[in-house]
Amino acid sequence: MSSSTANFDKTKAFLIDTTKCTGCRGCQVACKQWNQLKAEDTKFFSGEGYQNPPLMSEYTFTRVKFKDYQKNGQNEFAFYKEMCMHCNEPACASVCPVGAFKKTAEGPVIYDAKRCIGCRFCMIACPFGVPKYEWSKAFPLVRKCTGCYSRVKEGLQPACATACPTAISYGSRAEMLKEAGKRLKNRPERYYNAIYGKDEAGGTSILYLTQQPLDELGFKPVTKRSLPSYTWQALRLVPGIFLTVGGGLSLVSWFNHRKERIKREQDQLNGAAAPENKEVDR
Amino acid sequence: MTAAARIIINEIKGYHNFLKLMIALVGLGVLASAVRFVLGLGVTTNLNDVYPWGLWISFDVVTAVPLAAGAFTLGAIVHCFHIKKLEPLVRPAIVTGFLGYSLVSVGLLLDLGQPQRAWHTMVYWNVHSPMFEVSMCIMAYTTVLFLEFLSPVCEKFGYHLPLRVLRWLEMPLVIGAASISTLHQSSLGTFFLIAVDKLHALWYNPLLPLLFWMSAIFTGISIIILEATMVHRFMGQPDESELLEVLTKILPWVLGVYLVVKLAATTLLSHGPLFDRPSLLALFLAEIIIGVIAPMFMFMKREYREDQRMQLRGATLVIAGLVLNRFNVSMFGMEQPDQLIYYPSIIESLVTIGIIAAHILFFVLVAKYFPIFEHHPETVDYSIPDHARRIEPDGGSHGKKSETVA
Ligand code: SF4
Ligand code: SF4
Ligand code: SF4
Repeated sequence: MSSSTANFDKTKAFLIDTTKCTGCRGCQVACKQWNQLKAEDTKFFSGEGYQNPPLMSEYTFTRVKFKDYQKNGQNEFAFYKEMCMHCNEPACASVCPVGAFKKTAEGPVIYDAKRCIGCRFCMIACPFGVPKYEWSKAFPLVRKCTGCYSRVKEGLQPACATACPTAISYGSRAEMLKEAGKRLKNRPERYYNAIYGKDEAGGTSILYLTQQPLDELGFKPVTKRSLPSYTWQALRLVPGIFLTVGGGLSLVSWFNHRKERIKREQDQLNGAAAPENKEVDR
Repeated sequence: MTAAARIIINEIKGYHNFLKLMIALVGLGVLASAVRFVLGLGVTTNLNDVYPWGLWISFDVVTAVPLAAGAFTLGAIVHCFHIKKLEPLVRPAIVTGFLGYSLVSVGLLLDLGQPQRAWHTMVYWNVHSPMFEVSMCIMAYTTVLFLEFLSPVCEKFGYHLPLRVLRWLEMPLVIGAASISTLHQSSLGTFFLIAVDKLHALWYNPLLPLLFWMSAIFTGISIIILEATMVHRFMGQPDESELLEVLTKILPWVLGVYLVVKLAATTLLSHGPLFDRPSLLALFLAEIIIGVIAPMFMFMKREYREDQRMQLRGATLVIAGLVLNRFNVSMFGMEQPDQLIYYPSIIESLVTIGIIAAHILFFVLVAKYFPIFEHHPETVDYSIPDHARRIEPDGGSHGKKSETVA
């Protein structure tokens, strides 16, 4: 995997300022349109909040989560857009046995459906619960937000970022981090002092600013270390272990077998009766 | 054609009712897998986006692989450390291992969403993926076990030339088997290292791969004890409990080291609260007490080590503990507190039951038709020959009297 010293400043990133989100769900609709995703049957009050559909799925790559909370005895609302975080060092890409996931130089983490064997390890690995499966199909594949790679490649912005009237900025990760820092500094009373995605899972291409503490809004606490490094610290030992075990056992057996041959030859020299090739070992 | 079919049917009619039951269960399993392929994973299993891995990964893969570890453990003990009197146990262990791994592959194929692309793992390499590592190892190891399994087959049919080659390959195969097994047994633990914020701290620690490997060793040994005792009881094979005593002497050591490493890793290296989920804590304690501490103390006593009934009980405890451990890591410990609980669907369960039944059935059949118990180590020269010519030319001689009892 790309080492943690790699520089992601030039990759493209989202800055999602949830304090500016109006909950219009323009991004949700734009995503469905651009990716030609089927509509889902929805019910009001089906999930934890007012959001529909209740969860991201094979048909829904992004969705606006609604969260109500109390502030000074008043009922308040917060919204945030949920999508693939396009991690700098994606867990999904590191565990996929056939390398179907790839972090592009532009930033989006893309998925090659032609390679996927359907083991669903990516779903286990993703700390944000993003990859979804086509449970409706006999030969299913994985589905998730593409980061609109086909658009970004051509110099366009992602469909959802284009559609958003207020909350989403899109640009290089360094710029977005700078902008987020500036907002935190200028309006400390408006923001909770953290940029979600700056260090989460070793850094992601989606950066969030919020008003509420992150956990109250339902952002998952995620380790700051890049996830592939957790498995790599074990996997990188593989060749060494293979050679050590193989070599060690070869030595042990060579030694033991030699001991025995010498013993047998000695027996023979001493004129022991047993004929050489049919000796009974005990 | 029809004559052959009639012979086969007559043969089956003579089987014990238990075997007929196994055949029926395998049939059900095959049917269930057919249904799974026609209707798809989503309809036939209880898997969903929250539980993408269920019973098939937890049992058919993560649990079955260590359960099939007898072959490599015993191979190393017998051939590398040269404890020759255990030789009679090797062939049954190889057959069990070969069957086990073949069935693991079947389980994996069933679980894949795109099984027709399983070969992709050989073409598109991702060395950073523990899954890649495990699938490569499983393919390699199944091949090794197949080669080892060829010996009794060649003996049965009296093929001398391949036997010579196989005899010559024996040591490299044993050593290869042990090294490959070390890798994939531990990599099964590496699988779960990526689930940093998902697997509960009672099981998540960086030593998980080491713990998986060590538990595969003591499970391998226990499986051999269980198998030899069962075969003695139900298939009229000689009582090997004296040989098994050697194994029960090794067991408390491996269990003891495992216990120390496990407790140290859990207390010193884990990253989250250990006691926040009472049900998980209970599972953890059950796994350790039943599967590690109890058998360890049992086998520390000499009279238990020598008593065939106690051998069987101890081994069963170890195996039960291992099964619980693998489910804890791959299923229970992965459940988040506020989620609906996953339980396997009928189709999933039928397939798994079918796979277990297939293992028992094939083992009995192989034992019935091939010389896996009538292997006489005294007549075979196992030392590494100086020249290829010194390989015994009459390796097939005892294959001729392979009219087996079963
Ligand atoms: S959020 Fe999940 S799916 Fe998206 S790049 Fe990161 S690990 Fe992969
Ligand atoms: S399900 Fe597909 S994309 Fe995900 S890890 Fe497996 S092979 Fe890779
Ligand atoms: S980046 Fe594209 S695919 Fe991803 S949520 Fe936005 S519109 Fe959908």
